[in-house]
Amino acid sequence: MRRAVAAALAVALVLLALYPLVATGYGIRFMLQLFMWIALAQSWNLISGLTGYVSFGHVAFFGTGAYAGAILIATHGWHWIPASLMAGVAAVILALIIGYPCLRLKGPYFAISMLGLNEVMRVLVSYFEGLTGGGLGLSLPTLYASVAIYYATGLAAVAVTAGAHLIITSRFGLRLMTIREDEIAAEAMGIDTARHKLYAFLLSAFVPGVVGAFFARDQGYIEPISVFPLITTITMIVMALFGGKGTIWGPVLGAVTLFVFQELVWVRFLYLHEILFGALIVGVVLVMPRGVLGVLQQRYRLPRTV
Amino acid sequence: MSVTITPTMVGQVVISGLLAGALYSMVALGLALIFGVMRVINIAHGTLLMLGAYTTFWWFQLLGINPYLSLLASMPLLFAIGLLLQYTLVTRVVNAPELSSLLLTFGISIALVNLARLAFTADLRSVEFLTGAFLVGPLALSKSRLISFAVAVAITLFAYWFLQKTKLGKALRATSQSSEVAMVCGINVPRIHLYAFGIASALAAAGGSLVAVMFAIQPEMGQVYTFKSFLVIVLGGAGNYPGALLGGMLLGLVEQLSSLFLTTQLSEAVAYLLLVLVLLLRPTGLLGGRAR
Repeated sequence: MRRAVAAALAVALVLLALYPLVATGYGIRFMLQLFMWIALAQSWNLISGLTGYVSFGHVAFFGTGAYAGAILIATHGWHWIPASLMAGVAAVILALIIGYPCLRLKGPYFAISMLGLNEVMRVLVSYFEGLTGGGLGLSLPTLYASVAIYYATGLAAVAVTAGAHLIITSRFGLRLMTIREDEIAAEAMGIDTARHKLYAFLLSAFVPGVVGAFFARDQGYIEPISVFPLITTITMIVMALFGGKGTIWGPVLGAVTLFVFQELVWVRFLYLHEILFGALIVGVVLVMPRGVLGVLQQRYRLPRTV
Repeated sequence: MSVTITPTMVGQVVISGLLAGALYSMVALGLALIFGVMRVINIAHGTLLMLGAYTTFWWFQLLGINPYLSLLASMPLLFAIGLLLQYTLVTRVVNAPELSSLLLTFGISIALVNLARLAFTADLRSVEFLTGAFLVGPLALSKSRLISFAVAVAITLFAYWFLQKTKLGKALRATSQSSEVAMVCGINVPRIHLYAFGIASALAAAGGSLVAVMFAIQPEMGQVYTFKSFLVIVLGGAGNYPGALLGGMLLGLVEQLSSLFLTTQLSEAVAYLLLVLVLLLRPTGLLGGRAR
Protein backbone atom coordinates (compact mmCIF):
# COMPACT_ATOMS: atom_id res chain seq x y z
CA MET A 1 0.00 0.00 0.00
CA ARG A 2 2.68 2.45 1.04
CA ARG A 3 4.79 1.50 -1.99
CA ALA A 4 1.84 1.96 -4.31
CA VAL A 5 1.22 5.43 -2.92
CA ALA A 6 4.89 6.32 -3.18
CA ALA A 7 4.98 5.10 -6.76
CA ALA A 8 1.86 7.06 -7.67
CA LEU A 9 3.37 10.17 -6.11
CA ALA A 10 6.61 9.70 -8.04
CA VAL A 11 4.72 9.31 -11.31
CA ALA A 12 2.67 12.42 -10.57
CA LEU A 13 5.80 14.42 -9.85
CA VAL A 14 7.49 13.26 -13.07
CA LEU A 15 4.37 14.15 -15.09
CA LEU A 16 4.23 17.58 -13.49
CA ALA A 17 7.93 18.10 -14.22
CA LEU A 18 7.40 17.20 -17.89
CA TYR A 19 4.17 19.15 -18.18
CA PRO A 20 5.70 22.45 -19.43
CA LEU A 21 7.02 20.61 -22.51
CA VAL A 22 3.49 20.09 -23.79
CA ALA A 23 1.50 22.79 -22.02
CA THR A 24 0.11 26.03 -23.33
CA GLY A 25 0.86 29.35 -21.66
CA TYR A 26 -2.51 29.26 -19.94
CA GLY A 27 -1.91 25.73 -18.70
CA ILE A 28 1.39 26.70 -17.15
CA ARG A 29 -0.06 29.71 -15.42
CA PHE A 30 -2.99 27.65 -14.17
CA MET A 31 -0.67 25.10 -12.59
CA LEU A 32 1.65 27.79 -11.28
CA GLN A 33 -1.21 29.37 -9.40
CA LEU A 34 -2.41 26.01 -8.16
CA PHE A 35 1.06 25.33 -6.75
CA MET A 36 0.99 28.73 -5.12
CA TRP A 37 -2.29 27.96 -3.38
CA ILE A 38 -1.08 24.53 -2.25
CA ALA A 39 2.01 26.15 -0.72
CA LEU A 40 -0.05 28.89 0.96
CA ALA A 41 -2.77 26.61 2.32
CA GLN A 42 -0.14 24.19 3.57
CA SER A 43 1.83 26.94 5.29
CA TRP A 44 -1.33 28.16 7.06
CA ASN A 45 -1.88 24.56 8.10
CA LEU A 46 1.54 24.41 9.75
CA ILE A 47 0.65 27.03 12.33
CA SER A 48 -3.14 27.00 12.49
CA GLY A 49 -3.91 23.39 11.65
CA LEU A 50 -1.32 21.99 14.00
CA THR A 51 -1.41 24.36 16.96
CA GLY A 52 -4.99 25.63 16.69
CA TYR A 53 -3.77 29.24 16.66
CA VAL A 54 -5.83 30.63 13.77
CA SER A 55 -3.92 33.18 11.73
CA PHE A 56 -6.36 35.62 10.10
CA GLY A 57 -3.57 37.64 8.54
CA HIS A 58 -1.30 35.08 6.95
CA VAL A 59 -1.23 37.07 3.75
CA ALA A 60 0.95 39.57 5.68
CA PHE A 61 3.87 37.19 5.11
CA PHE A 62 2.99 36.78 1.45
CA GLY A 63 2.86 40.54 0.96
CA THR A 64 6.03 41.16 2.92
CA GLY A 65 7.82 38.56 0.82
CA ALA A 66 6.45 40.08 -2.37
CA TYR A 67 7.78 43.50 -1.43
CA ALA A 68 11.11 42.23 -0.11
CA GLY A 69 11.64 40.25 -3.31
CA ALA A 70 10.50 43.05 -5.59
CA ILE A 71 12.76 45.60 -3.87
CA LEU A 72 15.78 43.33 -4.11
CA ILE A 73 15.09 42.61 -7.78
CA ALA A 74 14.01 46.06 -8.96
CA THR A 75 16.16 48.33 -6.81
CA HIS A 76 19.20 46.20 -6.07
CA GLY A 77 19.32 44.17 -9.26
CA TRP A 78 19.30 40.75 -7.61
CA HIS A 79 18.50 37.58 -9.52
CA TRP A 80 14.98 36.45 -8.60
CA ILE A 81 15.99 33.14 -7.06
CA PRO A 82 18.25 34.46 -4.28
CA ALA A 83 15.89 37.43 -3.91
CA SER A 84 13.00 35.04 -3.26
CA LEU A 85 14.96 33.16 -0.62
CA MET A 86 15.78 36.45 1.06
CA ALA A 87 12.09 37.34 0.86
CA GLY A 88 11.38 34.17 2.83
CA VAL A 89 13.93 35.31 5.39
CA ALA A 90 12.26 38.73 5.58
CA ALA A 91 8.91 37.06 6.29
CA VAL A 92 10.54 34.94 8.99
CA ILE A 93 11.99 38.07 10.59
CA LEU A 94 8.54 39.66 10.60
CA ALA A 95 7.15 36.46 12.12
CA LEU A 96 9.82 36.56 14.80
CA ILE A 97 9.03 40.16 15.72
CA ILE A 98 5.30 39.62 15.80
CA GLY A 99 5.23 36.01 16.96
CA TYR A 100 7.15 36.61 20.14
CA PRO A 101 4.43 38.81 21.69
CA CYS A 102 1.36 37.60 19.81
CA LEU A 103 1.78 33.87 20.25
CA ARG A 104 1.37 34.35 23.98
CA LEU A 105 -2.18 35.45 23.26
CA LYS A 106 -4.90 32.88 23.47
CA GLY A 107 -7.48 31.98 20.84
CA PRO A 108 -9.31 35.04 19.57
CA TYR A 109 -6.60 37.45 20.67
CA PHE A 110 -4.02 35.86 18.42
CA ALA A 111 -6.47 35.60 15.51
CA ILE A 112 -7.40 39.28 15.66
CA SER A 113 -3.83 40.44 16.19
CA MET A 114 -2.91 38.73 12.91
CA LEU A 115 -5.82 40.44 11.16
CA GLY A 116 -4.44 43.72 12.47
CA LEU A 117 -0.91 42.84 11.36
CA ASN A 118 -1.98 42.58 7.76
CA GLU A 119 -3.69 45.96 7.86
CA VAL A 120 -0.63 47.51 9.47
CA MET A 121 1.75 46.05 6.91
CA ARG A 122 -0.40 47.41 4.11
CA VAL A 123 -0.40 50.86 5.71
CA LEU A 124 3.35 50.80 6.30
CA VAL A 125 4.08 49.70 2.74
CA SER A 126 1.95 52.54 1.39
CA TYR A 127 3.61 54.97 3.74
CA PHE A 128 7.28 54.31 3.00
CA GLU A 129 7.04 55.51 -0.58
CA GLY A 130 10.76 55.89 -1.11
CA LEU A 131 11.29 52.19 -0.64
CA THR A 132 8.09 50.71 -1.97
CA GLY A 133 6.66 53.22 -4.42
CA GLY A 134 3.70 53.77 -2.09
CA GLY A 135 0.29 53.51 -3.69
CA LEU A 136 1.82 53.63 -7.16
CA GLY A 137 3.39 50.24 -6.62
CA LEU A 138 6.61 48.74 -7.88
CA SER A 139 7.40 47.54 -11.36
CA LEU A 140 9.92 44.79 -11.94
CA PRO A 141 12.14 44.53 -15.01
CA THR A 142 10.49 42.39 -17.68
CA LEU A 143 11.32 38.71 -17.58
CA TYR A 144 9.75 35.93 -19.60
CA ALA A 145 10.23 33.07 -17.22
CA SER A 146 6.85 31.54 -16.48
CA VAL A 147 8.31 28.07 -16.87
CA ALA A 148 11.11 28.76 -14.41
CA ILE A 149 8.62 30.18 -11.92
CA TYR A 150 6.38 27.17 -12.56
CA TYR A 151 9.18 24.90 -11.39
CA ALA A 152 10.09 27.14 -8.47
CA THR A 153 6.50 27.34 -7.18
CA GLY A 154 6.01 23.63 -7.75
CA LEU A 155 9.14 22.96 -5.75
CA ALA A 156 7.84 25.19 -2.96
CA ALA A 157 4.54 23.30 -2.88
CA VAL A 158 6.32 19.92 -2.79
CA ALA A 159 8.80 21.11 -0.18
CA VAL A 160 6.18 22.48 2.19
CA THR A 161 4.04 19.35 1.84
CA ALA A 162 7.09 17.17 2.50
CA GLY A 163 7.84 19.46 5.43
CA ALA A 164 4.30 19.00 6.74
CA HIS A 165 4.80 15.23 6.47
CA LEU A 166 8.07 15.39 8.39
CA ILE A 167 6.57 17.61 11.08
CA ILE A 168 3.30 15.77 11.53
CA THR A 169 5.06 12.42 11.89
CA SER A 170 7.69 13.81 14.27
CA ARG A 171 7.76 14.37 18.02
CA PHE A 172 7.77 18.09 17.30
CA GLY A 173 4.47 17.73 15.45
CA LEU A 174 2.97 15.62 18.22
CA ARG A 175 3.86 18.32 20.71
CA LEU A 176 2.25 20.98 18.51
CA MET A 177 -0.94 18.93 18.34
CA THR A 178 -0.82 18.48 22.10
CA ILE A 179 -0.78 22.26 22.38
CA ARG A 180 -3.82 22.38 20.12
CA GLU A 181 -5.76 19.89 22.21
CA ASP A 182 -4.90 21.33 25.62
CA GLU A 183 -2.21 23.90 26.02
CA ILE A 184 -2.18 23.89 29.80
CA ALA A 185 -1.85 20.13 29.90
CA ALA A 186 0.95 20.36 27.32
CA GLU A 187 2.79 22.77 29.56
CA ALA A 188 2.23 20.56 32.57
CA MET A 189 3.81 17.71 30.61
CA GLY A 190 6.96 19.76 30.30
CA ILE A 191 6.52 20.96 26.70
CA ASP A 192 8.05 24.39 26.15
CA THR A 193 4.88 25.61 24.44
CA ALA A 194 6.14 29.14 23.72
CA ARG A 195 9.18 27.88 21.85
CA HIS A 196 7.25 25.21 19.93
CA LYS A 197 4.59 27.65 18.80
CA LEU A 198 7.24 30.13 17.72
CA TYR A 199 9.14 27.51 15.68
CA ALA A 200 5.94 26.44 13.95
CA PHE A 201 5.08 30.07 13.24
CA LEU A 202 8.51 30.82 11.75
CA LEU A 203 8.37 27.73 9.54
CA SER A 204 4.88 28.71 8.52
CA ALA A 205 5.98 32.25 7.54
CA PHE A 206 8.94 31.26 5.37
CA VAL A 207 7.00 29.69 2.52
CA PRO A 208 4.46 32.49 1.98
CA GLY A 209 7.41 34.91 1.96
CA VAL A 210 9.16 32.98 -0.80
CA VAL A 211 5.96 32.42 -2.76
CA GLY A 212 5.13 36.11 -2.42
CA ALA A 213 8.39 36.95 -4.15
CA PHE A 214 7.63 34.42 -6.91
CA PHE A 215 4.27 36.10 -7.32
CA ALA A 216 5.89 39.53 -7.59
CA ARG A 217 8.40 38.20 -10.14
CA ASP A 218 5.66 36.50 -12.11
CA GLN A 219 3.29 39.48 -12.12
CA GLY A 220 6.02 42.04 -12.83
CA TYR A 221 4.11 44.68 -10.87
CA ILE A 222 2.87 44.84 -7.30
CA GLU A 223 0.97 47.38 -5.22
CA PRO A 224 -0.24 47.32 -1.61
CA ILE A 225 -3.76 46.15 -2.39
CA SER A 226 -2.61 43.41 -4.74
CA VAL A 227 -0.35 41.65 -2.23
CA PHE A 228 -2.17 42.23 1.08
CA PRO A 229 -5.77 41.31 0.25
CA LEU A 230 -7.82 39.71 2.99
CA ILE A 231 -9.32 37.35 0.41
CA THR A 232 -5.94 35.62 0.05
CA THR A 233 -5.96 34.74 3.74
CA ILE A 234 -9.57 33.63 3.46
CA THR A 235 -8.75 31.42 0.51
CA MET A 236 -5.86 29.76 2.36
CA ILE A 237 -8.10 29.12 5.35
CA VAL A 238 -10.99 27.77 3.30
CA MET A 239 -8.72 25.44 1.34
CA ALA A 240 -7.08 24.01 4.45
CA LEU A 241 -10.40 23.71 6.29
CA PHE A 242 -12.15 22.11 3.35
CA GLY A 243 -9.51 19.44 2.84
CA GLY A 244 -8.89 18.94 6.54
CA LYS A 245 -6.75 21.09 8.78
CA GLY A 246 -3.97 19.46 10.71
CA THR A 247 -3.57 16.69 8.14
CA ILE A 248 -0.79 16.28 5.58
CA TRP A 249 -2.86 16.00 2.42
CA GLY A 250 -5.88 18.01 3.50
CA PRO A 251 -4.58 21.40 2.38
CA VAL A 252 -3.44 19.89 -0.95
CA LEU A 253 -6.82 18.29 -1.52
CA GLY A 254 -8.58 21.51 -0.54
CA ALA A 255 -6.38 23.68 -2.75
CA VAL A 256 -6.81 21.45 -5.81
CA THR A 257 -10.57 21.09 -5.41
CA LEU A 258 -11.35 24.70 -4.67
CA PHE A 259 -8.87 26.23 -7.10
CA VAL A 260 -10.23 24.17 -9.97
CA PHE A 261 -13.76 25.11 -8.97
CA GLN A 262 -12.80 28.73 -8.64
CA GLU A 263 -11.11 28.87 -12.04
CA LEU A 264 -13.78 26.98 -13.91
CA VAL A 265 -16.99 28.07 -12.25
CA TRP A 266 -16.89 30.81 -9.67
CA VAL A 267 -14.72 33.30 -11.51
CA ARG A 268 -17.62 33.90 -13.87
CA PHE A 269 -19.57 35.38 -10.99
CA LEU A 270 -17.50 38.19 -9.57
CA TYR A 271 -18.98 38.67 -6.12
CA LEU A 272 -20.81 35.39 -5.97
CA HIS A 273 -17.59 33.50 -5.64
CA GLU A 274 -16.66 35.35 -2.45
CA ILE A 275 -20.17 34.86 -1.10
CA LEU A 276 -19.70 31.16 -1.77
CA PHE A 277 -16.37 31.22 0.04
CA GLY A 278 -18.07 32.76 3.05
CA ALA A 279 -20.87 30.23 2.91
CA LEU A 280 -18.31 27.45 2.53
CA ILE A 281 -16.51 28.50 5.71
CA VAL A 282 -19.82 28.50 7.56
CA GLY A 283 -20.75 25.13 6.07
CA VAL A 284 -17.42 23.47 6.81
CA VAL A 285 -17.37 24.75 10.40
CA LEU A 286 -20.91 23.50 11.03
CA VAL A 287 -21.07 20.32 8.99
CA MET A 288 -17.56 18.90 8.82
CA PRO A 289 -15.20 20.77 11.11
CA ARG A 290 -12.48 18.23 10.33
CA GLY A 291 -12.72 18.68 6.58
CA VAL A 292 -13.11 16.03 3.89
CA LEU A 293 -9.98 14.16 4.87
CA GLY A 294 -10.81 14.42 8.56
CA VAL A 295 -14.18 12.80 7.91
CA LEU A 296 -12.55 10.04 5.85
CA GLN A 297 -9.94 9.49 8.55
CA GLN A 298 -12.63 9.04 11.12
CA ARG A 299 -14.83 6.82 9.02
CA TYR A 300 -12.23 4.54 7.47
CA ARG A 301 -9.65 4.67 10.23
CA LEU A 302 -6.99 6.01 7.96
CA PRO A 303 -3.65 6.50 9.69
CA ARG A 304 -2.94 9.92 11.14
CA THR A 305 -0.15 10.37 8.62
CA VAL A 306 -2.39 11.14 5.66
CA MET B 1 7.23 66.79 10.48
CA SER B 2 8.11 70.30 11.47
CA VAL B 3 4.65 71.57 12.38
CA THR B 4 4.67 73.27 15.77
CA ILE B 5 2.01 71.96 18.09
CA THR B 6 -0.03 74.58 19.89
CA PRO B 7 -2.26 74.08 22.96
CA THR B 8 -5.28 74.76 20.74
CA MET B 9 -4.32 71.89 18.51
CA VAL B 10 -3.99 69.61 21.51
CA GLY B 11 -7.38 70.75 22.80
CA GLN B 12 -8.88 70.13 19.39
CA VAL B 13 -7.37 66.67 19.28
CA VAL B 14 -8.55 65.73 22.75
CA ILE B 15 -12.08 66.80 21.88
CA SER B 16 -12.02 64.94 18.58
CA GLY B 17 -10.69 61.92 20.43
CA LEU B 18 -13.55 61.95 22.91
CA LEU B 19 -16.09 62.54 20.15
CA ALA B 20 -14.82 59.54 18.22
CA GLY B 21 -14.37 57.54 21.41
CA ALA B 22 -18.03 57.64 22.40
CA LEU B 23 -18.95 56.01 19.11
CA TYR B 24 -16.29 53.32 19.57
CA SER B 25 -17.58 52.66 23.08
CA MET B 26 -21.13 52.17 21.90
CA VAL B 27 -20.19 49.84 19.05
CA ALA B 28 -17.74 47.89 21.19
CA LEU B 29 -20.31 47.44 23.93
CA GLY B 30 -22.17 45.16 21.54
CA LEU B 31 -19.09 43.06 20.91
CA ALA B 32 -18.43 42.94 24.65
CA LEU B 33 -22.00 41.78 25.26
CA ILE B 34 -21.73 38.88 22.80
CA PHE B 35 -18.32 37.94 24.14
CA GLY B 36 -19.46 38.22 27.74
CA VAL B 37 -22.61 36.19 27.32
CA MET B 38 -21.42 33.56 24.84
CA ARG B 39 -17.60 33.66 24.75
CA VAL B 40 -17.90 34.30 21.03
CA ILE B 41 -15.82 36.95 19.26
CA ASN B 42 -18.13 38.15 16.53
CA ILE B 43 -15.94 38.93 13.52
CA ALA B 44 -19.10 40.01 11.69
CA HIS B 45 -19.73 42.86 14.15
CA GLY B 46 -18.33 45.54 11.82
CA THR B 47 -20.25 43.98 8.94
CA LEU B 48 -23.49 44.53 10.85
CA LEU B 49 -22.39 48.13 11.38
CA MET B 50 -21.95 48.42 7.61
CA LEU B 51 -25.52 47.17 7.09
CA GLY B 52 -26.72 49.83 9.53
CA ALA B 53 -24.87 52.48 7.53
CA TYR B 54 -26.51 51.33 4.29
CA THR B 55 -29.93 51.37 5.93
CA THR B 56 -29.40 55.02 6.73
CA PHE B 57 -28.03 55.73 3.27
CA TRP B 58 -31.01 54.23 1.48
CA TRP B 59 -33.55 55.84 3.76
CA PHE B 60 -31.96 59.16 3.06
CA GLN B 61 -31.42 58.53 -0.65
CA LEU B 62 -34.79 57.06 -1.52
CA LEU B 63 -37.10 58.61 1.02
CA GLY B 64 -35.19 61.71 2.04
CA ILE B 65 -35.61 60.84 5.71
CA ASN B 66 -33.43 62.57 8.29
CA PRO B 67 -30.46 60.21 8.78
CA TYR B 68 -30.67 60.46 12.56
CA LEU B 69 -34.29 59.32 12.46
CA SER B 70 -33.20 56.30 10.46
CA LEU B 71 -31.79 54.90 13.69
CA LEU B 72 -35.40 53.92 14.28
CA ALA B 73 -35.16 51.70 11.22
CA SER B 74 -31.58 50.48 11.34
CA MET B 75 -31.61 49.36 14.97
CA PRO B 76 -34.77 47.19 14.81
CA LEU B 77 -33.75 45.83 11.40
CA LEU B 78 -30.34 44.75 12.63
CA PHE B 79 -31.84 43.48 15.87
CA ALA B 80 -33.90 41.13 13.74
CA ILE B 81 -30.94 40.14 11.56
CA GLY B 82 -28.87 39.51 14.68
CA LEU B 83 -31.60 37.35 16.14
CA LEU B 84 -31.80 35.39 12.93
CA LEU B 85 -28.02 34.84 12.73
CA GLN B 86 -27.94 33.67 16.32
CA TYR B 87 -30.95 31.42 15.89
CA THR B 88 -29.78 29.72 12.70
CA LEU B 89 -25.97 29.66 12.88
CA VAL B 90 -24.14 31.06 15.86
CA THR B 91 -26.08 29.07 18.43
CA ARG B 92 -24.48 25.92 17.07
CA VAL B 93 -20.96 26.98 17.99
CA VAL B 94 -21.58 28.55 21.38
CA ASN B 95 -20.10 25.65 23.28
CA ALA B 96 -17.69 24.58 20.54
CA PRO B 97 -14.01 25.56 20.71
CA GLU B 98 -13.56 29.33 20.39
CA LEU B 99 -11.93 29.00 17.01
CA SER B 100 -15.04 27.48 15.46
CA SER B 101 -17.04 30.54 16.42
CA LEU B 102 -14.30 32.83 15.11
CA LEU B 103 -14.21 31.05 11.77
CA LEU B 104 -17.99 30.86 11.57
CA THR B 105 -18.52 34.58 12.14
CA PHE B 106 -15.62 35.25 9.77
CA GLY B 107 -17.49 33.27 7.11
CA ILE B 108 -20.74 35.12 7.84
CA SER B 109 -18.89 38.40 7.53
CA ILE B 110 -17.38 37.54 4.12
CA ALA B 111 -20.73 36.39 2.79
CA LEU B 112 -22.54 39.52 4.00
CA VAL B 113 -19.88 41.91 2.71
CA ASN B 114 -20.11 40.39 -0.73
CA LEU B 115 -23.88 40.27 -0.70
CA ALA B 116 -23.71 43.98 0.05
CA ARG B 117 -21.32 44.50 -2.87
CA LEU B 118 -23.68 42.61 -5.11
CA ALA B 119 -26.68 44.57 -3.92
CA PHE B 120 -25.19 48.03 -3.43
CA THR B 121 -22.05 47.91 -5.66
CA ALA B 122 -18.59 48.71 -4.32
CA ASP B 123 -18.96 52.47 -4.95
CA LEU B 124 -18.24 54.90 -2.16
CA ARG B 125 -21.49 56.42 -0.96
CA SER B 126 -22.10 59.32 1.33
CA VAL B 127 -25.01 60.94 3.08
CA GLU B 128 -24.75 64.67 2.44
CA PHE B 129 -26.78 65.91 5.32
CA LEU B 130 -24.95 67.89 7.92
CA THR B 131 -21.73 69.69 7.11
CA GLY B 132 -19.83 72.51 8.73
CA ALA B 133 -18.76 73.07 12.28
CA PHE B 134 -19.56 75.03 15.40
CA LEU B 135 -16.83 77.46 16.41
CA VAL B 136 -16.24 77.50 20.14
CA GLY B 137 -13.45 79.98 20.83
CA PRO B 138 -10.48 78.73 18.82
CA LEU B 139 -11.91 75.22 18.52
CA ALA B 140 -13.93 73.91 15.59
CA LEU B 141 -16.43 71.18 16.41
CA SER B 142 -17.87 69.34 13.47
CA LYS B 143 -21.66 69.37 13.72
CA SER B 144 -22.13 65.81 12.58
CA ARG B 145 -19.52 64.54 15.02
CA LEU B 146 -21.05 66.44 17.88
CA ILE B 147 -24.50 65.01 17.21
CA SER B 148 -23.12 61.54 16.76
CA PHE B 149 -21.34 61.95 20.09
CA ALA B 150 -24.56 62.97 21.82
CA VAL B 151 -26.55 60.14 20.26
CA ALA B 152 -23.86 57.58 21.04
CA VAL B 153 -23.60 58.70 24.65
CA ALA B 154 -27.38 58.60 25.03
CA ILE B 155 -27.66 55.11 23.58
CA THR B 156 -24.70 53.84 25.61
CA LEU B 157 -26.10 55.23 28.85
CA PHE B 158 -29.47 53.73 28.05
CA ALA B 159 -27.81 50.37 27.42
CA TYR B 160 -26.02 50.54 30.79
CA TRP B 161 -29.22 51.46 32.52
CA PHE B 162 -30.90 48.57 30.76
CA LEU B 163 -28.19 46.13 31.84
CA GLN B 164 -28.24 47.37 35.43
CA LYS B 165 -31.92 47.80 36.14
CA THR B 166 -34.19 45.73 33.95
CA LYS B 167 -34.94 42.09 34.47
CA LEU B 168 -33.61 41.15 31.05
CA GLY B 169 -30.47 43.22 31.67
CA LYS B 170 -29.85 41.40 34.93
CA ALA B 171 -30.37 38.08 33.19
CA LEU B 172 -27.84 39.09 30.55
CA ARG B 173 -25.28 40.00 33.20
CA ALA B 174 -25.97 36.85 35.16
CA THR B 175 -25.38 34.77 32.04
CA SER B 176 -22.11 36.64 31.45
CA GLN B 177 -20.93 35.71 34.92
CA SER B 178 -21.82 32.06 34.70
CA SER B 179 -24.20 30.52 32.23
CA GLU B 180 -24.47 27.35 34.32
CA VAL B 181 -25.56 29.17 37.44
CA ALA B 182 -27.88 31.36 35.39
CA MET B 183 -29.48 28.25 33.95
CA VAL B 184 -29.91 26.73 37.39
CA CYS B 185 -31.60 29.95 38.49
CA GLY B 186 -34.22 29.43 35.83
CA ILE B 187 -32.87 31.80 33.19
CA ASN B 188 -33.60 30.59 29.68
CA VAL B 189 -29.99 30.81 28.50
CA PRO B 190 -30.54 30.16 24.78
CA ARG B 191 -33.09 32.96 24.76
CA ILE B 192 -30.62 35.26 26.51
CA HIS B 193 -28.14 34.43 23.75
CA LEU B 194 -30.71 35.54 21.18
CA TYR B 195 -31.26 38.82 22.96
CA ALA B 196 -27.52 39.39 23.40
CA PHE B 197 -26.87 38.96 19.69
CA GLY B 198 -29.87 41.06 18.78
CA ILE B 199 -28.97 43.95 21.08
CA ALA B 200 -25.34 43.83 20.01
CA SER B 201 -26.37 44.00 16.36
CA ALA B 202 -28.65 46.93 17.09
CA LEU B 203 -25.78 48.77 18.79
CA ALA B 204 -23.57 48.09 15.77
CA ALA B 205 -26.36 49.36 13.52
CA ALA B 206 -26.62 52.57 15.51
CA GLY B 207 -22.89 53.02 15.03
CA GLY B 208 -23.29 52.47 11.31
CA SER B 209 -26.09 55.01 11.03
CA LEU B 210 -23.97 57.62 12.79
CA VAL B 211 -20.86 56.81 10.75
CA ALA B 212 -22.89 57.14 7.56
CA VAL B 213 -23.41 60.86 8.20
CA MET B 214 -19.71 61.47 8.88
CA PHE B 215 -17.73 59.29 6.48
CA ALA B 216 -18.07 57.60 3.13
CA ILE B 217 -19.60 54.15 3.27
CA GLN B 218 -18.80 51.05 1.26
CA PRO B 219 -19.30 47.32 1.76
CA GLU B 220 -15.87 46.70 3.26
CA MET B 221 -15.98 49.52 5.77
CA GLY B 222 -16.89 47.20 8.62
CA GLN B 223 -13.65 45.32 9.03
CA VAL B 224 -11.86 48.26 10.57
CA TYR B 225 -14.68 48.65 13.09
CA THR B 226 -14.51 44.99 14.02
CA PHE B 227 -10.85 45.47 14.71
CA LYS B 228 -11.39 48.68 16.64
CA SER B 229 -14.19 47.22 18.73
CA PHE B 230 -12.01 44.28 19.56
CA LEU B 231 -9.23 46.65 20.53
CA VAL B 232 -11.65 48.55 22.75
CA ILE B 233 -12.84 45.50 24.64
CA VAL B 234 -9.28 44.28 25.03
CA LEU B 235 -8.22 47.67 26.38
CA GLY B 236 -11.16 47.70 28.75
CA GLY B 237 -10.93 44.07 29.76
CA ALA B 238 -12.91 41.53 27.76
CA GLY B 239 -16.37 40.91 29.14
CA ASN B 240 -16.18 44.00 31.34
CA TYR B 241 -18.98 46.36 30.26
CA PRO B 242 -17.82 49.64 31.89
CA GLY B 243 -14.38 48.72 30.53
CA ALA B 244 -15.79 49.08 27.01
CA LEU B 245 -16.62 52.71 27.77
CA LEU B 246 -13.13 53.45 29.05
CA GLY B 247 -11.49 51.52 26.22
CA GLY B 248 -13.47 53.39 23.57
CA MET B 249 -12.48 56.79 24.91
CA LEU B 250 -8.89 55.68 25.23
CA LEU B 251 -8.79 54.43 21.66
CA GLY B 252 -10.34 57.65 20.36
CA LEU B 253 -7.75 59.72 22.19
CA VAL B 254 -4.78 57.61 21.17
CA GLU B 255 -5.83 57.65 17.53
CA GLN B 256 -6.32 61.39 17.44
CA LEU B 257 -3.18 62.18 19.39
CA SER B 258 -1.06 59.98 17.17
CA SER B 259 -2.56 61.55 14.08
CA LEU B 260 -1.28 64.87 15.42
CA PHE B 261 2.27 63.63 15.28
CA LEU B 262 1.96 61.16 12.43
CA THR B 263 -0.32 60.80 9.44
CA THR B 264 -3.84 59.51 9.86
CA GLN B 265 -2.83 56.32 8.13
CA LEU B 266 0.00 55.64 10.54
CA SER B 267 -2.27 56.23 13.52
CA GLU B 268 -3.92 52.92 12.58
CA ALA B 269 -0.57 51.25 13.06
CA VAL B 270 -0.26 52.99 16.42
CA ALA B 271 -3.61 51.54 17.51
CA TYR B 272 -2.28 48.12 16.61
CA LEU B 273 0.90 48.62 18.59
CA LEU B 274 -1.25 49.72 21.51
CA LEU B 275 -3.18 46.47 21.30
CA VAL B 276 -0.04 44.35 21.33
CA LEU B 277 1.49 46.38 24.17
CA VAL B 278 -1.59 46.20 26.37
CA LEU B 279 -1.91 42.48 25.82
CA LEU B 280 1.75 42.01 26.67
CA LEU B 281 1.49 43.94 29.90
CA ARG B 282 -2.01 42.92 30.96
CA PRO B 283 -3.32 39.90 29.08
CA THR B 284 -6.76 40.43 30.63
CA GLY B 285 -7.07 44.12 29.70
CA LEU B 286 -6.80 47.27 31.73
CA LEU B 287 -9.80 46.76 34.00
CA GLY B 288 -8.88 43.19 34.84
CA GLY B 289 -11.65 41.02 33.50
CA ARG B 290 -11.49 37.37 34.29
CA ALA B 291 -8.33 35.39 33.74
CA ARG B 292 -8.70 33.20 30.74
